[in-house]
Amino acid sequence: MADETGEAQLQVRFITKQEQYAVSDSPYAIQSNVQPLELNKLLNGLLKETKPSIEKSVEFDFLICGELLVTSISECLQDKGLSTEDTLEIEYLERFPAPSPQDCLMHDDWVSAVHTHGNWILSGSYDNSIHIWNTKGQHKLAIPGHTSPVKAISWVSFNGDQAVFVSGSHDQSAMLWVWNVSRNSVECVVTCRGHDKGVECLAVSADSKCFATGSWDNNICLWSTSLSDEDNVPVKKKQKPEQGNTREPTSVLKGHREAVSGVQWMDFNTVVSSGWDHLLKIWDCELGGIKQEIAGNKAFFDVDWSPLTSSLITASADRHIRLYDPRSTDSIVKTTFTSHTGWVQSVRWSKTRDTLFLSAGYDGLVKLWETRSPKTPLYDLSGHEDKVLCCDWSNPTFLVTGSCDNTLRIFKSKHATGNA
Amino acid sequence: MPPFKAGLKRKVRSEKTAENVVEDKDSNSDNDGEDLLKGDLDKESDATDSEHEDIDAGSDGERDEVLFDDSVDSVLEDEEPGDDSLEESSDLTDSEGDESDGSEEGDESQSESEAEQSADSGAETGTAPSAAGSSDESNKKEKREIQKKESIKNKTPKETEKQQTNKKQNSKNTKQKEKIKMNSVDVLASKIEETKVSTEPVQQKDEYESGDTSDEEDRVNTAGDVPMWWYNEYPHVGYDLDGRRLIRPPQRDHIDEFLKKCEDPEFWRTVRDPATGQDIVLSKEDLQLLERLRSSRVPSAEHDEYEPWVEWFSREVLATPLRAFPEHKRSFLPSRSEQRQVARIVHALKMGWTKTRRELAAERRKKKERNFYNLWGSAPGAARPGPRALPAPRRALPSHAESYNPPPEYLLDRKEMKEWEKLSETPWKRKYTFLPTRHASLREVPAYPRFVRERFLRCLDLYLAPRAIKMRLTINAEDLVPKLPSPRDLQPFPTGEVLRMRGHDALVRSADFDPSGQYIVSGSDDGTVKVWETQTGRCLRTAALGAAVARVAWTPAAGLSLVAAALGRRLLLLNPGADVGAHRVAAATDALLAEPPPQHDVLMDERTSSCVQWETVDAEQWARGVRISIAHFKPVTHVSWHARGDYVAVTLAEGAARAVVVHQLSRRRSQLPFRRAKGLVQCAVFHPHRPLIFVATQRVVRVYDLVKQELVRKLQAGAQWISAMAVHPAGDNLLVASYDRKLVWFDLELSARPYQTLRLHGGAVRAVAFHRRYPLFASAGDDRYLLVAHGMVYNDLLQNPLLVPLKQLAGPEPRGELCVLDVRWHPAQPWLLAAAADHTLRLYA
Repeated sequence: MADETGEAQLQVRFITKQEQYAVSDSPYAIQSNVQPLELNKLLNGLLKETKPSIEKSVEFDFLICGELLVTSISECLQDKGLSTEDTLEIEYLERFPAPSPQDCLMHDDWVSAVHTHGNWILSGSYDNSIHIWNTKGQHKLAIPGHTSPVKAISWVSFNGDQAVFVSGSHDQSAMLWVWNVSRNSVECVVTCRGHDKGVECLAVSADSKCFATGSWDNNICLWSTSLSDEDNVPVKKKQKPEQGNTREPTSVLKGHREAVSGVQWMDFNTVVSSGWDHLLKIWDCELGGIKQEIAGNKAFFDVDWSPLTSSLITASADRHIRLYDPRSTDSIVKTTFTSHTGWVQSVRWSKTRDTLFLSAGYDGLVKLWETRSPKTPLYDLSGHEDKVLCCDWSNPTFLVTGSCDNTLRIFKSKHATGNA
Repeated sequence: MPPFKAGLKRKVRSEKTAENVVEDKDSNSDNDGEDLLKGDLDKESDATDSEHEDIDAGSDGERDEVLFDDSVDSVLEDEEPGDDSLEESSDLTDSEGDESDGSEEGDESQSESEAEQSADSGAETGTAPSAAGSSDESNKKEKREIQKKESIKNKTPKETEKQQTNKKQNSKNTKQKEKIKMNSVDVLASKIEETKVSTEPVQQKDEYESGDTSDEEDRVNTAGDVPMWWYNEYPHVGYDLDGRRLIRPPQRDHIDEFLKKCEDPEFWRTVRDPATGQDIVLSKEDLQLLERLRSSRVPSAEHDEYEPWVEWFSREVLATPLRAFPEHKRSFLPSRSEQRQVARIVHALKMGWTKTRRELAAERRKKKERNFYNLWGSAPGAARPGPRALPAPRRALPSHAESYNPPPEYLLDRKEMKEWEKLSETPWKRKYTFLPTRHASLREVPAYPRFVRERFLRCLDLYLAPRAIKMRLTINAEDLVPKLPSPRDLQPFPTGEVLRMRGHDALVRSADFDPSGQYIVSGSDDGTVKVWETQTGRCLRTAALGAAVARVAWTPAAGLSLVAAALGRRLLLLNPGADVGAHRVAAATDALLAEPPPQHDVLMDERTSSCVQWETVDAEQWARGVRISIAHFKPVTHVSWHARGDYVAVTLAEGAARAVVVHQLSRRRSQLPFRRAKGLVQCAVFHPHRPLIFVATQRVVRVYDLVKQELVRKLQAGAQWISAMAVHPAGDNLLVASYDRKLVWFDLELSARPYQTLRLHGGAVRAVAFHRRYPLFASAGDDRYLLVAHGMVYNDLLQNPLLVPLKQLAGPEPRGELCVLDVRWHPAQPWLLAAAADHTLRLYA
C-alpha cells in the first residue's frame, strides 16, 4: 500500500489567484507522496523559468479542495477520499510569513486587555491601570483611574493630537478618555455608569460614534462616544464630578441570562454578543431587540466578527474555536479549530486577510490560524509563560497579546508582498 | 428232451426277434430272477407238458402268428417288460396268498397265475390237451387248463385264418422254426451257424417296413391305452382289428437269453417290444437316432443347426413388403400396461416399499464402510428410553458398630467371636457383614494409606468425567449491570482540569462560588480567606483573619455580599469588598450591617446566650471586611446558609444538645433548635425551600420541621460515620457521604432507606455536592479521584432517580491523609471546584 502510494504518479495543475505568481496551465506529473516543501521547490523552479522578474524564492501554501496542504498529497487525498487518477488542481498562494517576536512589554500585573491603533498600543491591567505604549515598546503613559481590574479597552479615534480611547473595568464603569499625544496628558472625559456589575468587554463601532459594553449584570449597554455631554446628561445624576462627567447608556440590551463575555459591532447598528449562557445574540441597536440567536453548548468567552468573510469566530469554555456563519440555516458551525490544550480566552480576526485569525489560550500559546486548515494552525506564537488573556490584531503589522505573566508581547508580521 | 425242445424253441424265437441289449441291466436281472422262478415252476409243468410235445409241434403255425403279433406290438410298446416284471412279482405273492385262503378272489388270482404259467410255459401247455393226470396242481387248476384248452380251441379257427394270411410274409421264419423243431441237440452248433446265416436276412429286413405293411393290413393291437400287464395271464396280448386275439409270442428263459447273448452278435441291439413281446433289432439309423436323442440333439441328422439366417423382417423397406397392412394405432401410443407398471413402481418408490438400484448400491456401500461407534458422542435421544429408572433404596446409615472406634458394647466378646467363627461357612447368617474392630485413631485403620490416594483418584474421576448433568445457570456479568445511558449522552459534565488557583499557604479547607458564579471564595488553614475570579483564576482579594478557616460559605442572597467563614469558635461574616462583585450590593450590605438592630428585638434565652455571643466588630476587623462576628462556646465545624440568606445554621463540634445553632442575621439573634442531643452532630443543612433542617449525626440523618418543631423523618444511612451531606435543589433527594467510602443517595419520597449506595471511592468521602441546574453531583475525599455522576431526578413521582457515574477526575496529589476537602459546583456552568489539600483550588470543566 505504501509502495503503491509512493510510486503513484499524479497529474496536477497549479492555479493561483495571485497573478504575479501565475504559471502555465499545463498539468504536471509528480509523485503522489510529495510534501509541500518539495512542491514549493517545484513551483519556484517553474516561476524562475517563466518570470525572471521574481528573484527571491517565494514560499507558497498549497490548497487542495479548499484545505491547506500540511501532509503529503497522497495522505491528503486519502483523507478526502479523492482519486489519484484525475488531474488534481492545486491552488497555491504566497505563504503568510511567520510573525517574529518583536517586543515584550512588562506590566505590574496581569494584562487583561489590549488594543492597537497605528503605532499606539493600549493595554489594561489587573492593577486597575491603563497603559499607553508605542509599537517600538516605549511606555508612554500609565493611567490610574479605575478601581478594579481593567477588562476591556479600545481606541476610539485619533484626531491629530487628540486621541480618544475607552476602557471598561470590573468597577462597573466604562471610561472615555482623551489623550493628548503631544503633551502626553490624559483626561477622563466621561465615566459611563449603567452596569450593575463589572464590565467585561467593549467594542467601538466602525464610525467611532458609539460603543457597546457587555457586563456581568447580563446587559449590553450602548454608549455615545461624544466628548461633550450636554445632550444626554441627566441633571439629577450629576452629583459625582470627581472623574469628569457621568454618562448614562443610550440603550440597554437585555436578554442574556448570564454574563456577557464578548461584544462586537457587525455594522453601524448591529451588535453581536456572546454570553456565558451559551448564546450568541445579534442585536439590532436601533430597535433594541434580538435579530438572531445562535446557541452553542458551552459558555462563550469571546466573539469576533469579520466583515471580510461575514462570519463569526468564537472562543468558548473548551479547547475549540468555532467558526459560525450566521447566514446559514442548517449547520451553523462551519468549522471547528482544535489545537489549543486549554480554554481559549480570546480570538481576533485579521483586519486585512479574510482567512487569518488569532487566538489566545490558557495553555500559554497564541495561535495564528488559517480558516482552511482546521487541524493545525499556521503558526504557534510562543513566549508567554502563563495564560494568555487577550490578543489584538487591529494593526495588520502587529500581533499583540497580553498574558497572566504580566507581559504584553508584540509580534511583527511581515506583510506578504501579494495580498489577496 | 422236452425241455431242450422248449429251449430250442426259445432260442429260435430269440433269434427271430433279436432282443435288445440296450435294455436296463437291472430289469434284465429281475427278469432273470423271475425267469428262474418261473423256470422252476415250468419244470414241473414241463414235466407234465412234456408228454404233449407232439401236439405242440403240430400247432407251430399258431405260435408263429403270435410271434408276428408281438413284433407288431413291439413297435408301439417299449415299456412293457418293466411293467410285466413288476406285475409278475406281485402276482407271485398274490398266488401264494391265494393258495392259503381259497376265497373267490383267490380263485381269480389262481386262475391268473395259471394263465401266467400257461403263458410262461408257452403254447405247449395250451397245445397239450391231456395235462390233468400227472400234474401236481389241484383239480381246479386242471379244470382251468381244460377251459383254456377249450378257449384255445375256440381261437384256433381265427388263428388259422391269420396264419394263412401271414404265411407268405413269414415264410422264411417258419422254415427256420420248423428246422429247429425238427433238428436235435446234436446239430446245435451247425444250427447256430445257420442262425447266423439266417439272421442276416432278418437284419436286412426293415422292421418298419413290415410294420408299415402290417399297418396296411390292419395288423394292429387294438388293446388300447391300457397297461399291458393286464394281459399277463392270458395267452394273447391284445386283439387285432378283426377282434381276433393276438397270441403272445413264446418267451425265452434265462439260459436261452444267455446263450443268445453269447451267440448273437446283434444281441446288444436287440430290443423286446413289450406290446407284442417280440425282439426287434435296431438298425444303424435307429442307433444313431438314439444317440442323438441321448445327447439331446435334434433327432434327424439332416437337420442343420447352423443353417444361414435369412432376415425376413429387416429395417429395409421392401417394395413388396411381407406385411403390407398399415401400422396399428397401438404402435404409436404409449403402452397403457407399461404405464401402469411404471406407475406402480413409482408409487412403491414413493412409499418406500422399494428402492432404486442406486439407493440399494448406496446402502450396500454404506454397509461396507467401517462404522465406528462414537464413544464420546451424546446419546441420540436426550432421555434414556423406557420407564424412569427406580433409584436404588438408600443404604441405612452407618451404625456405631461401623465406626473405626466402636463403643465396647459393639465389639464382639469371646462368646460372640466363637459364634462368628462358627458361622464362617455361612457368613450371611452372621450378625454383621463386617467384624467391628477397634482402632486407636482413624489413621490406624488399615485402609488409611490407600484412602487418600483413592479419594484423590476418585476426585480426579469426578472432575474429569462428571456423571451427572450439571444444571448451570449461565449469567453474564454484563447482564447484571443495569442498563445505563452512555456518558456521552449525558453531557455536559466536567472532563478535565482547566484552572489551578495557587495562593494559599496551607491546605484549603473549603471553597464556595458566589451566587452568580463570577467569584470563588476559599478558606484555608493559613488563616486567610481569598476571593478569586472564576474565569481567570485571579486572586482578587485576600483577607487574613488570623486563624485557620474551617468553612466558608457565600450567602445565596443576591442582594447581599456576604461570606460566612468559620474560624475556630467564631463565625465571621465578611463582605468581600467593593472591588469584588457589585459596588452597590457591597455598599448595601455594609449599610445593612453597620447598625445593629434595636436591642429589644434581640431576644435570646439564657441557654442560647450561654453558648452564642454576637460580638461587636472593631474598626480594624471592619477594614478587613469582617462585618459580623459571632462567638460560640465550641469550635465551628460546619456552616450552611438558608436559601434566603437570612439564616445560617452552624454546627459546633462536641456541642451535644447545643451542637446546632441557627443564627438570624437580620435580627442578630440565635436559636438552639434542639433540646436533647441525639448523637455527634456532623452537619446541619437547610432544606432549599421548605422549613426543614437536615441534621446528620454519626449514622443517622434526621429531618426536622422547624415550624412545627418536630422530627419528620429519620434516615438510616447504613454508614459508620457520616462526613458530609448535600440536599438536591429540588429538596426531595439527599446525598450523604461517609468516612467509610460510601456515598448514599436517599430518595425522601421513596423511603427512609437508602435508594442507592455508591461505593466508588477508595478512601473516605469528605465532600459531596449537587449542581444547582444540571443533573450532576460530585463527591471527593481522600482518594485522588473526584467522582462526577449524573443524578437525574424526575418530576414524575413514579420514576426513580437515575444515577450514572460519569467520570473520575484525576484530583490533586494527596497531602498526608488528605486529598480533596471540599467540592462545589459552579451555579450556572457544569464546572466543578475542588479545594485541595495541596494548597490549591482546582476548577474542572
